[in-house]
Amino acid sequence: MTSGSTPATAYGHVCLAYDDPAGLDAWAVGYLAAGLAAGERVALIAPGAPDELARRLDRLPGRDAALRQGALRLLSVAQMYRSGGVVDPQAQVRVYDAATEEALAAGYTGLRVVAEATTLVRTAAQRDTFARYEHLMDHYIRRRPLSVTCAYDRRELGGPAIAELACLHPETNAEVLFRLHAATGETVVALGGELDPSNDRLFAAALDRADPRGVDGRLLVDATGLRFVDHRNLLHLRDHARRHGADVVLRTSRSAVGRLVELLDLPEVRVEVGR
Amino acid sequence: MRTGAAAGHVGYYHEAVCYDSEEHLLAVVVPFLLAGVEAGEPTLVGLGEHNAELVRRALPADSGVAFLPGGDLYARPAAAIRAYRTLLAGHVAEGAEQIRIVGELPAAVLGATWDWWARYESAINHAYDDFPLWSMCAYDTRTTAPQVLADVARTHPRTARPDGSHVPTGCYTEPASYLAERRPVRLDPVQRAAPVLELTDPTPAEARAAVRAADRGQLPADEVEDLMVAVSEIVTNALRHGDGPARIRLWSGPDRIVVTVHDRGAGPKDPYAGLLPAGNGASGGLGLWISHQSCNHVALHQDDGGFTVRLTAGNPHFPV
Repeated sequence: MTSGSTPATAYGHVCLAYDDPAGLDAWAVGYLAAGLAAGERVALIAPGAPDELARRLDRLPGRDAALRQGALRLLSVAQMYRSGGVVDPQAQVRVYDAATEEALAAGYTGLRVVAEATTLVRTAAQRDTFARYEHLMDHYIRRRPLSVTCAYDRRELGGPAIAELACLHPETNAEVLFRLHAATGETVVALGGELDPSNDRLFAAALDRADPRGVDGRLLVDATGLRFVDHRNLLHLRDHARRHGADVVLRTSRSAVGRLVELLDLPEVRVEVGR
Repeated sequence: MRTGAAAGHVGYYHEAVCYDSEEHLLAVVVPFLLAGVEAGEPTLVGLGEHNAELVRRALPADSGVAFLPGGDLYARPAAAIRAYRTLLAGHVAEGAEQIRIVGELPAAVLGATWDWWARYESAINHAYDDFPLWSMCAYDTRTTAPQVLADVARTHPRTARPDGSHVPTGCYTEPASYLAERRPVRLDPVQRAAPVLELTDPTPAEARAAVRAADRGQLPADEVEDLMVAVSEIVTNALRHGDGPARIRLWSGPDRIVVTVHDRGAGPKDPYAGLLPAGNGASGGLGLWISHQSCNHVALHQDDGGFTVRLTAGNPHFPV
């Protein structure tokens, strides 16, 4: 279903932009059923009362039994995101951490969630904070047995607002040309897709929100999935490096990046070409 | 203090040497170089292999003249300007009061790609004027086309002669005027066939994908990537600064890929666009400069129908 579903990005954090609520429900049924089959606790988090939420999962096999056993949870957005209008990123990650640990303690293999978060990102200020939270969650999801599909209503939010959030997910069906997400090993974040004049402002915002920090003066970025990057976006990386006093080191398989960096004379951006 | 004919001159003292024999060339160049060494000025030779050897043999052993390595110095004009400016700034930082250079362009670039080298010869009157440089550009009148020699005369304020004189070329044209002229661009023979692809108002990503599609493996992957960088920038300029629609055409030849990007606008106002980076980043100047650094030939063409940039990756030297 996603444009970027390669193994390196398939760790369970999906942004689903939808136009048709029935389509979202169908996705949720399949997604949560797979979780139940894998021994995970699953949850649907969406606006509405529990019976409304249950109705959206009418087609989920074994729904009622799962509800009785606690394998399936139905939570309203207000219950899960108690902070009200603007999410508190750190506190909200702790909420998910507690829920994941609780699921593990109860004998489940992990936790899998569909979160309909449209109502939490209606304003620019909400989106700014929520995007920061999405990236924190992305790192948590990459490390722990939690999978989340973040669903956003395109009819209500529109493409550009969704793009602000979608680009911070490793997998999405939304039309974003690049993705900035959590990495493993010594690299801090990974970049995928293409960075060009059509999205350099979006990238600058994403970089500011993700705010990756270096270690010992080096911020290692896995750019092996980055098919293209232009000078505007390299300048954003340079500015980020300057702000935090850490050189950005791009690990890439593309030699053109190195030539561009040399041409632009960007000492704070270094390129390691491999493969 | 500056010495020789350039004594008292401020900035760049730019001369041509239009020679018709080896004796002619040596009669101009050897005294120029020896006087530079004698005055303690950095004195450099950037000639091709044949003429460099000729000059080396005519100079005393350990003359003190430095021979620049050949290589890629004259691969692309924007890169040559960047490299020379760095070199000149280095000498000035070390206290040089004048730098003397004799150089020549490889014969290969006096053909299909001459248009961007003519722009180079004009632009450096401005680009090197920050430095106390006295340089001579050598052209062999026996093998250089008359149109090229006409451009040489218009882009060099003076000619150095074997009798030691330095004569105004008479038709020197200030770079801002010369570079603003409409210049005919030779049609690349691959353009005679129908383009393999034609797009109107593509996104930069679609334009890059078109380059990828036109690549049949005839070029090294690096060159295809660099062409994508250039096409992405030029399409962006056309969409943002041009007068729509932006039309891109691609031709795939046996040893090159040729891309034209056309819009109905007048093109960049900055006469140095492409050859010098636009410092303030305005109006896409940096993108055009990057393209000049990423392609083996960039031809700019303005006419009543609009502005066209032609980008070539691979071998741009079709016979003329």
